[in-house]
Amino acid sequence: MSWKIWLLIFCILGSLLAILPLDFTKGVEIISIEKNSTAYEQGLRQGMIITNIDGQTISNFNDYKQSVSKFPTEEKTKITILTKSGEFILFTDQAPEISVKDIPKTRIKTGLDLSGGARALVKAKDKDLTSSELNDLIAVTRERLNVYGLRDVQIKPVTDLSGNNFMLIEIAGSTPEELENLIGQQGKFEAKIGNETVFVGGEKDITYVARTGDQSGIYSCNQVQSGYVCNFRFSISLSERAAKNHADITCQLGINSTTPQYLEKTLDLYLDDQLVSFLYISRDLKCSETTQIQISGSGTGTTRQEAYNNANQEMKQLQTVLISGSLPFKLQIEKLDTISPLLGKEFTNTILIAGIAAILAVGLFVFIIYRKIKLSLAVLLTSLSEVLIILGISALFSRSLDLPAIAGIIAAIGTGVDSQIIILDESRMTNVSLRERIKRALTIILGTYVTTLFALLPLMWAGAGLLKGFAITTIIGISAGVFITRPAFAEIVKKIMGE
Amino acid sequence: MEELLETTKKQKLANWYNKNYKLLLIIPIILLILSLGNLGLSYYRTGDFIEKDITLTGGTSITIITEDQKININELSDFLYGKIENPIIRELSDFRSGKQKAVVVESILEPKELKPVLEDFLNYKLTNENSSIESTGSSLGQSFYKQLRLAIIISFILMAIVVFFLFRSFVPSFAVVISAFADIVMTLAVINFLGMKISAAGITAILMLIGYSVDSDIMLTTRLLKRHGDTNKNLSSAFKTGITMVLTSIIALTVALIITQSFSNVLRQIFTILLIGLGFDILNTWITNVSILKWYLEAKRR
Repeated sequence: MSWKIWLLIFCILGSLLAILPLDFTKGVEIISIEKNSTAYEQGLRQGMIITNIDGQTISNFNDYKQSVSKFPTEEKTKITILTKSGEFILFTDQAPEISVKDIPKTRIKTGLDLSGGARALVKAKDKDLTSSELNDLIAVTRERLNVYGLRDVQIKPVTDLSGNNFMLIEIAGSTPEELENLIGQQGKFEAKIGNETVFVGGEKDITYVARTGDQSGIYSCNQVQSGYVCNFRFSISLSERAAKNHADITCQLGINSTTPQYLEKTLDLYLDDQLVSFLYISRDLKCSETTQIQISGSGTGTTRQEAYNNANQEMKQLQTVLISGSLPFKLQIEKLDTISPLLGKEFTNTILIAGIAAILAVGLFVFIIYRKIKLSLAVLLTSLSEVLIILGISALFSRSLDLPAIAGIIAAIGTGVDSQIIILDESRMTNVSLRERIKRALTIILGTYVTTLFALLPLMWAGAGLLKGFAITTIIGISAGVFITRPAFAEIVKKIMGE
Repeated sequence: MEELLETTKKQKLANWYNKNYKLLLIIPIILLILSLGNLGLSYYRTGDFIEKDITLTGGTSITIITEDQKININELSDFLYGKIENPIIRELSDFRSGKQKAVVVESILEPKELKPVLEDFLNYKLTNENSSIESTGSSLGQSFYKQLRLAIIISFILMAIVVFFLFRSFVPSFAVVISAFADIVMTLAVINFLGMKISAAGITAILMLIGYSVDSDIMLTTRLLKRHGDTNKNLSSAFKTGITMVLTSIIALTVALIITQSFSNVLRQIFTILLIGLGFDILNTWITNVSILKWYLEAKRR
């Protein structure tokens, strides 16, 4: 058998491997977990797969729901959660602070328009953002969404054909009704003692935030009862105005009665009016017009590495807030889509039926024209393998398939069949050798390939890339067609014709 | 005897074609002029070649999921009359049972203006669970439209460069490019004629059409240009291949359109535009392109 056919077989197997889950364990996957919860402290993490709770096998979401339905209980009870990564025992009166979902049957991800979720395109009001401003905006937004407790969020900068910069936010799953406020607000950072504001985020009050060197970093990691704690600190410089504020306000404070090395009130850090962190104020700082403030905090984890990473992340988040906490510009939501997950499943099924029916119809038509069932089957096989390869590559790169992407698959199959017809007809001409005829067919196909490829390229950028999916799946499809499936198809046709 | 008759008939047809193929060009020329006229008129009237939907003008689309309680869209339409300017109301239904699954309302209003009106009609709150809301700001919509228009122009130019590079001969390349151009212009004119409002996704279909429509032209030109032998013989074999190609595409798209049309506006529009385009592709490949090419080859031979 020719290597071209082997290559096709190899690609089909590879695609199947990419699409199908690697193991077929039944259970539910943890999609989010509240930090500082009992479940988190005991070591449960996002991505773990729960297979059994208190001896009951958990194979889907309903099983899980039933097994935790006894909560909340009056007294703390023991709950044993078996996951693929080990056993976890919780003593709690609340249901574990996690959300779970069924393990997906395939690794194909569907886009928000099919699976539900939210998408927003945000830009600055009456202002063009530079790329560093855009990165600041993204950092601020990510922090905010984190504070709010949203987990499955993707935020990225996009630039469109006219050179506009946007922030694209995508949130999978259920969408909070407040999303518009969360992402559309300017973002206000305030450091307060009691009700009085000491300083706010941004350059006016904070002149410098140390982010590298010995002024910033993790200085100790300790083992504690439930795992590890790592502590970080970094220094910031306050403007004179902010320093004076600090002096005036701390002068009025007394000493903390339980821990006398600190003042009685804490310095509370607010982001969009939500408390994100607070700092104890050393008694030495009372009434002092200090411009240097050491901000500290900690991160916890079950392993040292995890605690270190968490502390590092916390520190970065805090630094980000201090640097760019209040954005110097107002935001404008240019596009906001919230898609209910309710219709998605039927939608996906309809599309699947449409795809299969279209391919079968083409197979039938080819049979009617060429009167050879083998040729018809070869066309079916080639088209299906093109679909498989597109899906496989999408799964491999975790690209989610949205509606435009699916339309792109169908378009790719359409051009694919065109090329197969060219091969079939060329190979039936009798004036030159079969090899020569196939070669000619492949030349034509290469020509049509390059034109389609070039025609779709602008779509990668136009319209803030929201229609990119169409271009990407079509390009994957026609490329797989030209380099993998159609050469193999030509070999198969040679064999069938040679008979 | 019958076979002989058949052959003479074919011969007669071939003779007629050989004599009159240049005349046939009149058909696409008239259609092209009419189409350009239609687009021009539309531009004169509205300031634009096509009618755009809310994804390109800005506006809101709310999908109300009607799992249990069916919405009577006539009642809804009566209710919205006078309250909302030119709303578009559509039903989404299951392809097999025909059962209503959702109702889509589109308007140029912002979500916060449209949502309360619908809630008034429904007597319940719209949440992120029982409805989907898609909104596009008007400046973004306009910018999308400008960019996608630019994308079509860039695509077309890139396609033309590839074609010229492929054949390295002016008239045959020009024939391919003008056929593709005619495809797109005629398709746009029909879309206007049908009163279809084009969405951002619909424009991707036009880009795809640029790629699609040159497929059979490239096949045809390669066969006639790079192959020796009788032009008419080459032409008739290319014709068979080309028609089979376009018919398979039409069949695949029709089947996909029938199944998805009740469920997705995006897919319905993409497939419809491609189908219209492929219909014109038959005309433009086998009259426009062939006639110019045949003319060129015969002139060259003399």
